[in-house]
Order: sequence, then C-alpha cells, then structure tokens
Amino acid sequence: MIEFELDLKRGNFQLQASLNSEASVIGLFGPSGSGKSTLLSLLTGSLQPQHGRILVDGRCLLDTARRINIPVHQRRIGMVYQEGRLFPHLNVRHNLSYGLQLLKPAQRRFKLDDIVALLELGPLLEQRPRQLSGGEQQRVALGRALLAAPQLLLLDEPMAALDDRLKAQILPFLRRIKDETGVPMLYVSHALHEILTLTQHIAVMQAGRLLAHGDAYEVLGTEHVLPLTQSLGLENLLKLQLLPSPQESGCSVALCGQQQVVLPWVDAVAGCEVAVVIPASSIALAKQRIEGISIQNQLHGTIRAIRTHDQRALLSIDVGAELLVEITEKSRQDMDLQCGDSVCCLFKTQAIRLLGHQRKA
Amino acid sequence: MDWLYFTEAETAALLLSIKVALWCTVISLIPGVATGWLLARKDFPGKPLLDSLVHLPLVLPPVVPGYLLLVLLGSQGIIGQWLQQQFGISLAFNWKGAVIASALMAFPLMVRAVRLAIMQIDARLETAASTLGASKLRVFLSITLPLAAPGILTGLILAFSRSLGEFGATITFVGNIEGETRTLPLAIYTYTQVPGGDAQAMKLVVLSVLLALAALFISDALERRAARHLASSSHD
Repeated sequence: MIEFELDLKRGNFQLQASLNSEASVIGLFGPSGSGKSTLLSLLTGSLQPQHGRILVDGRCLLDTARRINIPVHQRRIGMVYQEGRLFPHLNVRHNLSYGLQLLKPAQRRFKLDDIVALLELGPLLEQRPRQLSGGEQQRVALGRALLAAPQLLLLDEPMAALDDRLKAQILPFLRRIKDETGVPMLYVSHALHEILTLTQHIAVMQAGRLLAHGDAYEVLGTEHVLPLTQSLGLENLLKLQLLPSPQESGCSVALCGQQQVVLPWVDAVAGCEVAVVIPASSIALAKQRIEGISIQNQLHGTIRAIRTHDQRALLSIDVGAELLVEITEKSRQDMDLQCGDSVCCLFKTQAIRLLGHQRKA
Repeated sequence: MDWLYFTEAETAALLLSIKVALWCTVISLIPGVATGWLLARKDFPGKPLLDSLVHLPLVLPPVVPGYLLLVLLGSQGIIGQWLQQQFGISLAFNWKGAVIASALMAFPLMVRAVRLAIMQIDARLETAASTLGASKLRVFLSITLPLAAPGILTGLILAFSRSLGEFGATITFVGNIEGETRTLPLAIYTYTQVPGGDAQAMKLVVLSVLLALAALFISDALERRAARHLASSSHD
C-alpha cells in the first residue's frame, strides 16, 4: 500500500525513515519533535529529501535516483492538519468542493452529497469557517480532503487542538471514514489511545527515525519503544457495552467481555457502545479479589505477556479484552507474577476517562 | 473670479490628470501584484537588490527618475529609439510619457501594499490548497489573490493618488505642455509663475485637495466593503 525510504538532513535534524506496509490504516506515534510532521511534509511533497523514494499503491511519487518527483498538486495525497486550514474567504460548500472541482469526472471518487451525509455537514454548508467550532472545522477539513479523492490520507494530529468532548465527537467520524470509504490513512498522533481507536497497526518514530512498525502490542513492547510509551503515558482504550443503570447512583455500569465495569455516568441508553481510556499506570494488580476496598473495578484476567525495561514491567492481561498494565519491576518480582498467572486488575472509577459513545444502540 | 467657472485650460488639466492617474493605476496592477508577490513569498538571489530598486523612487528626488526616463525613453534614448522604430510609439513629451513617469513614482506604494497584504496571508492555506490538487497558478488565483484583494485595492488607490500628485518626474521627462502633459500640479506651478495667477492657482489647489480626499474616501469605502466580504458574506 505504502512504501517509502526517505533521508533528509536539515541543520542539526536528520530524518531517516523507511516503511513498507500493506495496512490500510497506519498509526504513526512519537513524541513532539520526533519528525512526524516533517515526514508528512516529505510525503506530500512540500519538502524535498536529499535521497528518497515513495510509492503509494504501486505508483511512484518520488525517486531521487531516477529523478522522479511528482509535484505536490499531482500526488493525490490528502492532508488534514491540526488546525483545519479552511479557506476563510469560501463558505463550507466551496471549501468542500475545492479539490473536487479540480478533478476530472473519471478521477472523482466521492460525491459532495455523500460526504456531507457521512460527516453530517448539511446544516453548515452555507456558513463561513470562522462561524464553525473547532470540531466542525475539522469535519469540514476531513470532507474537503476526502473529496479530492486522495490515494492516501495523511492526518497530522487532527484532534490535538480539540478538547476531550470535541475529540469524542470526531472519533466516530474517523472510524466511519475508515470503515466506509476505504481510503488508506496514515494517522499521526502523540496520543496512543487515539491511534488505537482506529488501528492496531502502528509505527513509532523518535529522533527522526522509525523505530518499529507492526501490531501495536508487539511494537509497544519492544525494547526501544517501551521507555517512550512510558514517558508519554501508555493508555488502554476499551469499548464497553453499556448496561441499564440508575442515574441516581452517578455511575454507569458496562460490560467488558463477561465482567462488569463501573464508570462515570454516561448519558446514553443501555446497549450502546462506550469508548473509555484507562492509563496503564492507573491499574493495580492483586493475586485475588480483595474485599472491603473502595476501588469499584476488579477485573479477573490472565497474564499473557510480560516485558520489562528500566525497573518497569508492562503486562498484557486478557480480561475479555486486552488490558495493558504498568507496574514496577519490584512489585512484579515481589508478587512473583508470571505468564499464565491469573490476576485481578484494580482501578478506580475516576481513573476512567470517557471518550464517547454511540448515539443509539 | 468665479469659483465654479473653469477655463478650457483648467478643465484640460483636470481631465488629463484623471486620465493619467487612471492609466497609471491600470498599468501598475499586474507588475505591482507580481512584484509584491515575489517579494512576499519567494527567496531568490538578488531579492534585496530588487527590493531596493523598487523602492528607489520613494527616496530619490523625483527629478532623478524623471531624468533617467528622459535619457532611456526619450526620443534620443536607447529604449525610446527602439520603441519608435519597432512600434512607432513615442513617449517623450506626451501624456503617455506622463503615465510612465507617474507609474514609476507610484510603483513602490503599490508594491508595498501588495507585499504587506500577501505576507499577512497564512502560507499554510496555500500548502493546503496544493495538497488538494491545485497547481501553483491556481493556488495564486483562487487563494492568494482573493485574500490579498483588500491590500491590492489599497495599493491601486495609493497609486492613483500618487499619480494625481506627481510633479517632478513628469515635468523633467515630458515637460509642461498645455493639453498634453500639463496635469493639475503642473498647471498650479505654471499659474504661480505668472504674475496675477495666484487666484487661479488657489482654485486648482482646492480642486486637488478635493480630488485627493475623494480618492481616499472611495478607497476607505471599498476597503471596508472588501474586508466585510472576506469576513462574512457567502462566496457567490
């Protein structure tokens, strides 16, 4: 699907990255300043590497050795930025159709009306960008990029400028784009849980290099990547099935596999899917269920894998879903935890952050 | 003296001034926008030199550009002779020369206004447009130009006003010929040189002030309208 090898030196910064992946959605994860945005600029062609090669779906966009360099506007690589970058002098309708009307009819892939329906932009069409909220602007930016019929869609921290509530509004749309349009995506973020909502296939970048890519758990557990995820805060993203619960209790109850989880109140009907985030370091482990404790959530599970690095242990625990738990290596040794052991995962209701929920069951 | 009665000579000066200023504005538009864009968006060797050259007329005594025009474009000048032979165009001592002289003097104002306007446009919008499939020319026409429109308009009005007031370069290059190159400032100058011409000079001075005020007033109104259009109204 996408294949590249890029080499760029600018001042003190050097980027050397190569990737060859068939995944339809790749999450690119890395700390700020690791070169993620530079990599995207190289892919779109607004920045030129000293040496490099880019192939998207077998189409060569750049090959310095063969002196091939397709200009930005012919690459058909869509881009969604952190700030919407909508054209302020055009209303939403004309922003959306900007790329569309430049395409020959045969090249068009989506109809304006379909994208408007997909992203629920109907009521906004005649408005100006400055009249829109941040989340609405990002939805228009997504639609505008899709309508230009990209062969690859790059998303550069598209939710970084949004608060949690707006993020929760955008996420379902990103999933819809992934499920319904089939446009390959490279999603860049320094928030791992955002990436994991969309894909299990991740690539990790640090200091201008791609350290690893592949299945999320495999990659996150590798020796170079683990310290990175710890410094950035590794988070679990779980999708839970909401159970009927009385509002007076102030909490909702949901199913994770066969087990119940008590979470902060969600204003949605039973049966809805709820997406929540739990930091790996907020989960404690016990060998058996503990009685007489304020912590509401105790999920039984089995340890599937353990990786240790720098006095910290990262455990993958199967509780009906995969839960990553981070504890100190000392506690792991004191408790003598091994693969295959059954454990109880303890976390407070307050440690759960709601990302969003389906509108109806 | 009747303040509302204009002699033929006075009317000729007024109409000539407006004709010269309009033509000056028209011929400044494309080179002014192109140079402003170049200075705002591009880096190239010799950019500081171009910048200085464009601004020279602002700081030179106007008689200097006027004299250089005479030397280059006059009937004996290299370019002047070539224009005469190739196209039969003569710029010396006629109103077309006056247009060239005032356009040269107004050019820095035009370029400064355009450059400022383009520099204030977020270049990232242009990058976004190119990832959507727009060629450089289309990005310029569909993004840069409309967003810079209020600034370009300001530049045009400034050029128009500057041309109305042009004196030194014009009189040096094309002389002071009644009905041909005697614009308002030159007519005022002429009257002040004639015994008893003070009242006529004053009449034209008042006229000049009114004309300049009108230009500034229209510029302000147009700019407000353009800014409002950019901010709120719908595209079509």
